[in-house]
Amino acid sequence: MTQFTISPPPHRRSKISVKSLMYGRIAALLIVGAASLLLFGTPALINILAAILGAVGTELVIQLAFKQKLTISDGNALYLGLLLALICPPTLPAWMAFVGGAFAIGVGKHAFGGIGSYMFHPSLTAWVFLNLAWAQNMLPESIPITSEFSDLLYETGAGFLTDVSPILIILTGLILIATKFIEWRIPLSYFLTTVILALFLGEDPSYIMQGTFLLGVFFIATETATTPVTKNGRLVYGILCGVLTVTYGYFAGNYLWGTLYALLLSNVVAPYIEVKTLPTPLGGVLNE
Amino acid sequence: MSDVIKLNKLPERVILPLKQHDGIACAPLVKKGDEVHLGQKLGDCKGSELAYIHSPYCGNVVAVEARPAPGGKSVLSVVLEPVECTEAPEFVPEKEAPPSRLMEIIEAAGIVEYYEKPTYKILKPGPLIDTLILNATFPLITRAYLPFLDKVLEGFQLMLEAGGISKGVIVLRADDKESIQAFKKASLNGKPLPVAPIIGKRHADYYFEDTDSDLIALVAGKKTYTPTMMNLLSADVMGRSLPLGYKPEDVHLSICGVKSAKAVYDAIKEGKPYLENAVTITGAVNNPKSLFVRFGTPVKDVIEACGGYRGEPGKLIINGSMGGVAVYTDEVPIVKNTTGIVVQAKEEVLRDEAMPCIHCARCVDACPVNLLPGRIAVMADCGMYEKCGEYYALSCIECGECAAVCPAKRHLVQLIRYSKLQLQKMNEAKNAEVIE
Ligand code: SF4
Ligand code: SF4
Repeated sequence: MTQFTISPPPHRRSKISVKSLMYGRIAALLIVGAASLLLFGTPALINILAAILGAVGTELVIQLAFKQKLTISDGNALYLGLLLALICPPTLPAWMAFVGGAFAIGVGKHAFGGIGSYMFHPSLTAWVFLNLAWAQNMLPESIPITSEFSDLLYETGAGFLTDVSPILIILTGLILIATKFIEWRIPLSYFLTTVILALFLGEDPSYIMQGTFLLGVFFIATETATTPVTKNGRLVYGILCGVLTVTYGYFAGNYLWGTLYALLLSNVVAPYIEVKTLPTPLGGVLNE
Repeated sequence: MSDVIKLNKLPERVILPLKQHDGIACAPLVKKGDEVHLGQKLGDCKGSELAYIHSPYCGNVVAVEARPAPGGKSVLSVVLEPVECTEAPEFVPEKEAPPSRLMEIIEAAGIVEYYEKPTYKILKPGPLIDTLILNATFPLITRAYLPFLDKVLEGFQLMLEAGGISKGVIVLRADDKESIQAFKKASLNGKPLPVAPIIGKRHADYYFEDTDSDLIALVAGKKTYTPTMMNLLSADVMGRSLPLGYKPEDVHLSICGVKSAKAVYDAIKEGKPYLENAVTITGAVNNPKSLFVRFGTPVKDVIEACGGYRGEPGKLIINGSMGGVAVYTDEVPIVKNTTGIVVQAKEEVLRDEAMPCIHCARCVDACPVNLLPGRIAVMADCGMYEKCGEYYALSCIECGECAAVCPAKRHLVQLIRYSKLQLQKMNEAKNAEVIE
């Protein structure tokens, strides 16, 4: 007799999985990372590898030690390590990048309960840790200014790895949005808020249109676990990111730090935004 | 237009569950060894929510016992060994039946709606009904009935007449071009049937006034209104939103299906009880199509009529892959509520592993009633049912959209359903206290 599988509905699901979402983002960041090699050469490559090794290795050790299911193949650790390397200067010693990657996963991700449970973006947590531990090494040699269009394409004054080619980040980011890997609400409201507010304050856009800010817009701010899930909440979250970025950037005078600190602070507020923007269901009343 | 043929080959066995609707099960009127003829009443029941069972075949009763039914459970069934009918059955329609008599005929024919309520019940549920909605938003079902469109329309009018309902709306899916075309060509007592789109706040009432017709067809969005989406249907089509816990009848609406309209026509104009459905077979069969299948015919005979399985079958789903039930055997019969069979090949069967939620909000964007499915599911998983209630879990219409898009492959519908069950129990307990 033929055997039939029985299972609860729905019997048809979308093909997108957490894994494919991760690898989509990784592919985008690898392109950005490859561009940074053009300018920075081997040190950048070594840092990227070191951070990834630190991240993936730590996840492996933790999951073996606690006898958990191994999840390194889902790409999340790899992604977080790669992202961290991109927001560090190429001059950072490789072993520090390794420690940073390990910190992102060990403390930023697993101490908070693993994938989906962290309230702060693990790469940002690690970035702050590196800044506190080795402030000198985290200083870039220059702060990028994208005063001409060619700078957007290839910025030789890049500070962090990601700052080398802003246009690549925009392109890959837009592709990910078009293919629904990233949802449009946060990038749109974040980007518009920042630009409008900065112009209003008379900021020079060439200080803002940098790799770090764009990476923030498309990749860091859209880290799903650290954002509100409500539709309006996501718009508000983007606006908040924008306001904080400009506030930091305007007063601290640079938009690299400004973006990253603003995003970390926004993470804190995300749950609050969510509970304040709960949608009312169609025809629904509270269960009394 | 597709030619919908009738499946006439006699199956080896015919299985007629004695409960094919949401209500009271029928008691068998026949016993092992009895000879039955086409249209004979096999199951009788008493009470208020009933649907009699008639025999769609001639044959001999070989057993009256529990058999697997397409709902997933075993149900007491009459099992027949069918034979060719020796004499042509005589079904005689009643002439010039008054509305009260129409209602009795509909009741006696055992017609059941797509959401398992007996049709006679929904035509006069108690509260006054001013509009009857014909839900034709299941493209496969609607298309299968298009060759009989005039009968469907006439049946629909008879339903209005029987229930004393003044207006009727047929709702179509915007992307079901074939059906829209057919309805546009249809005529109603010599006049063309008005077909109009729903735009913004222009709901059915606007078009009733505009066209001066009591029967119109409206093209709604690209949505199929499944049985759990009745309130959404009344809101979308009539602009009458309903608070949770209310039914369309509370705002003077009733909803019926295409297949019951045809069945009403057959019952009143041809004197036939409800004996068959158009069933659409899709997926991994060699020759997917729509067929008229008599109730009691096992699924495997229907599959055979479609050229058999293509490759090795993995899953058999009754009534649609979003909310349908996967059955464990193809021996289950077609019943009054079976309108579709989906066959998935072995390699198509989903084998996913659920992961923790990554808060990607895809479920939020997919939910047609604006819930936060991922959040409710997490709280249901932790046993925080009151919290689920605060997040409006009870408003969930169990459409499955959230689970279909979830990249973490979480069992969102089941978790939410579970929390709803617990909430309902808690409410009952609370109400019981109040009464004491
Ligand atoms: S779709 Fe799945 S992973 Fe995404 S928020 Fe909803 S439950 Fe979580
Ligand atoms: S099943 Fe999911 S998508 Fe459908 S109503 Fe319920 S929560 Fe919303």
